[in-house]
Amino acid sequence: MTAPLLETRNLTRRFGGLVAVNGVSLSVSAGEIVGLIGPNGAGKTTFFNLLVGLFPPSSGEVLFEGARISGRRPHVIARAGLTKTFQNVALFMESSVLDNVVTGALLHSDLGAARAQARATLERVGLAAVAEVRAGELSFPERARVEVARALCTRPKLLLLDEVMAALTPPEMEEIIALVRSLRDEEGIGFIVVEHHMKAVMKLCERIVVLNFGEMIGDGRPEAIANDDRVIEAYLGGGFRRPDRAGGSDDADGAGGAKGARA
Amino acid sequence: MQTIYTLTQTLVDGLLIGGIYAVISIGLSLVFGVMHIVNFAHAEFLMIGMFVAWYAWAWLGLDPMLGAFLALGVTFLLGMGMQRVLIKPILAAPQVAQIFLTVGLLFALENAALLLFGADYRSVSTPYQTEALSLFASGGERIIVPYAKLFAFLMALGLGASVWLFLQRTRTGQAMRATAQDATAARLMGIDTDRMYMLAFGLGTGTTAFGGAVILPYITASPTVGSQYVVLMFTAVVLGGLGSVAGAVVGGLLVGLIQSFSALVLPIQLQNLILFVIFIAVLALKPEGILSRRTG
Amino acid sequence: MARRGTLAAYGGLAILFALLPLVLDPRGYEMRVLCLVLLFAALGQAWNLVGGLANQISLGHAAYFGIGAYASTILQQVAGLSPWIGTLAGMALAALLALLLSVPTFRLKGHYFALATLAAGEAMRVIANSWSDLTGGPVGISVPFNPGSSVWMMQFQTVRPNYYIFLVTLILVTALFWRIKTGAMGYRLRAIKENEQAAEVIGVDTYRVKLVASLLSAAITAFLGTLYAQFQFFFDPDTIFGLAAFSVKMALVAILGGVGTVAGPLIGAAFIIPMEELANSYFGNSAAGLSQFAYGIVLVAVILVNPYGIVALFARLRGGRRRDRASRGGEARP
Repeated sequence: MTAPLLETRNLTRRFGGLVAVNGVSLSVSAGEIVGLIGPNGAGKTTFFNLLVGLFPPSSGEVLFEGARISGRRPHVIARAGLTKTFQNVALFMESSVLDNVVTGALLHSDLGAARAQARATLERVGLAAVAEVRAGELSFPERARVEVARALCTRPKLLLLDEVMAALTPPEMEEIIALVRSLRDEEGIGFIVVEHHMKAVMKLCERIVVLNFGEMIGDGRPEAIANDDRVIEAYLGGGFRRPDRAGGSDDADGAGGAKGARA
Repeated sequence: MQTIYTLTQTLVDGLLIGGIYAVISIGLSLVFGVMHIVNFAHAEFLMIGMFVAWYAWAWLGLDPMLGAFLALGVTFLLGMGMQRVLIKPILAAPQVAQIFLTVGLLFALENAALLLFGADYRSVSTPYQTEALSLFASGGERIIVPYAKLFAFLMALGLGASVWLFLQRTRTGQAMRATAQDATAARLMGIDTDRMYMLAFGLGTGTTAFGGAVILPYITASPTVGSQYVVLMFTAVVLGGLGSVAGAVVGGLLVGLIQSFSALVLPIQLQNLILFVIFIAVLALKPEGILSRRTG
Repeated sequence: MARRGTLAAYGGLAILFALLPLVLDPRGYEMRVLCLVLLFAALGQAWNLVGGLANQISLGHAAYFGIGAYASTILQQVAGLSPWIGTLAGMALAALLALLLSVPTFRLKGHYFALATLAAGEAMRVIANSWSDLTGGPVGISVPFNPGSSVWMMQFQTVRPNYYIFLVTLILVTALFWRIKTGAMGYRLRAIKENEQAAEVIGVDTYRVKLVASLLSAAITAFLGTLYAQFQFFFDPDTIFGLAAFSVKMALVAILGGVGTVAGPLIGAAFIIPMEELANSYFGNSAAGLSQFAYGIVLVAVILVNPYGIVALFARLRGGRRRDRASRGGEARP
């Protein structure tokens, strides 16, 4: 049996007295597409931030390809092949789309190669036409795609997507689903996907993990999860099936997420 | 070997000067807390307060302890006017612009004072200036509390308490705190935040000027006196947490104590060095200083 | 194509400045002013490496400048060492200070970074004033007089050789800045400027990138400090480590002309230094403080006329103002 690509052991993060992520043990194999769902404030974004090293866990650890990465700085973790997109979109707004993506590509290449890689990636995610446009001038769905392109250019083995489908129309969602599938099939990239749109998650993912109040309450195939009593209860309590993100942002980083977990 | 008397004397000296640092830092902290502007020129208002009190003494014969109220009033108005004309337009500007505007203001105020008042040092004479309380005298040892410092300390304490009461107990004070916490929400609740900004800036400059005025009996006034207080003031404010009025008081007292106790072991000029080191270390360790644009 | 045109323009400018001394009195006032223009353009360029590209606003660069000036001057005094050698010590010391400072300041941004660097500059002033055995204390220090001209000792009969040293330095520093700005490091520094967290997550070692930029910036600034000492022959702690005289002015030179741009410091220095000299000679000593007062007023006025202007005019920063405000609000509530 080979070691999993990603493994968390009892991963816990407290903010003051609030436990945003509580004892999560999860393993993800190479090339898996895993959905991470849960009500608002369940700790999903905090979980992502722990994985990529934006803050250290209070206890527990994260292993990537068998090596301990928790406590390392984010750029070290990115170099190892694990990165994420930002839920609220954290582009370099004053720079062009191309320059955003080039910055990601510089992780493994010199400037010339990075430019070529960035152009190819923009082509692939369908943003070639706006390569020279300032990122701040793009629409929200376009920005989310730039996030994906920039992250892809760091050549991840596992990419964490934080609500990249928010505010997308159904045809646009289909495009993203097809993109994620093809990246997995052709390049073997694994994904963990946080998304509120249940249909999209069910369609895209082969496995779904459920967080509630920071704890993992479900892990299984989509059909099984959809019929799991605990999951249904958690969702009914937190407002089941919201068609969009009108209810505001999901658990934000840091203290925001912690506050959400209490609510 | 330090005797208990030396140590107590050092403690008393530290608290007396720390009280002054507290009141001048309250002003700076208030301005940051409400407007999120770091006013590099703030120490100049201490200088202005000293000159107002000096002229009040020279022309009207007012004791600086009374002149301090005049200083408070004059700089309150001056501060409000400056906020309107200079600070308001750059509240939403990039930090670079904010930093350089207040730095420019620092040069302008300091040199305006030089042009208006000349480079001479000015001091006042008061009946209590050379008098001191002598406490616990025994066998040649005693604790000395100069009246000038004691009065200044009590005045500073009084004003600090008044500002605190104003912020806690009055409607305007509560509105100001609401503005500090979340200006947008405050506006939605019908608070005139522009007015709050003006008031806060005026109150901030006035408080600091008051602190400058009350120390006039034992510190000479000059156009460049502000520069000696810049780092002290910022250290106090950062120690207590930038933006917190109660924190500025604690920070001010701490700075006074650090200064007086380091005087026991260090030559005078290195005392300030200690403060710089503490200042930078605190900036680095305080969460307020840590990168706070959380995205994700 | 555009790049070739720009390059030609810079080349023309360099040739013009190389020929200028031929028509000016080598002992004249104009030559001294031009020297200062070149010096401050180079200082602005060095400041720009961190302040412009990564938006880390330093108000303490005089610390590095003064270290360079003192190191070469003291080594000349005590050991008769050439300033060309002495400056190496200064550059190393300045880089060491930058390294030490990077530890407490690497997480700081905006006002906080400005405050910390301001304190660092002031701390150097306090040290120079109090460590009289080494620095001569508040009365200042003189470069030992060396009769005759000597490239090795960087002392000349006129300022014309100084001028050419300043010019060559400026050209080299500008080329270095351009190289960094357009290279991989420039991308990383801009990423840090715009969103440090995102930069880390996509693999930018933000600490290392900022450190390398500030080491370079500090070392160049120290070298310029030596050039200044050899040009002035005398300086004191309050001037050389002064907030107004150097820390703020070199930042201002970079910002007024367009922060983070290659041309910025050149334009800024060409504008500010002659204006200041003009004000000084116009007001003379009739009223102490008048030129500094005017300096402050101009600074305030320029920002008020266009708060974004100093940043936006040349750097083409059109949008993003609301985010500026949002992030500012965020900093108050961590």
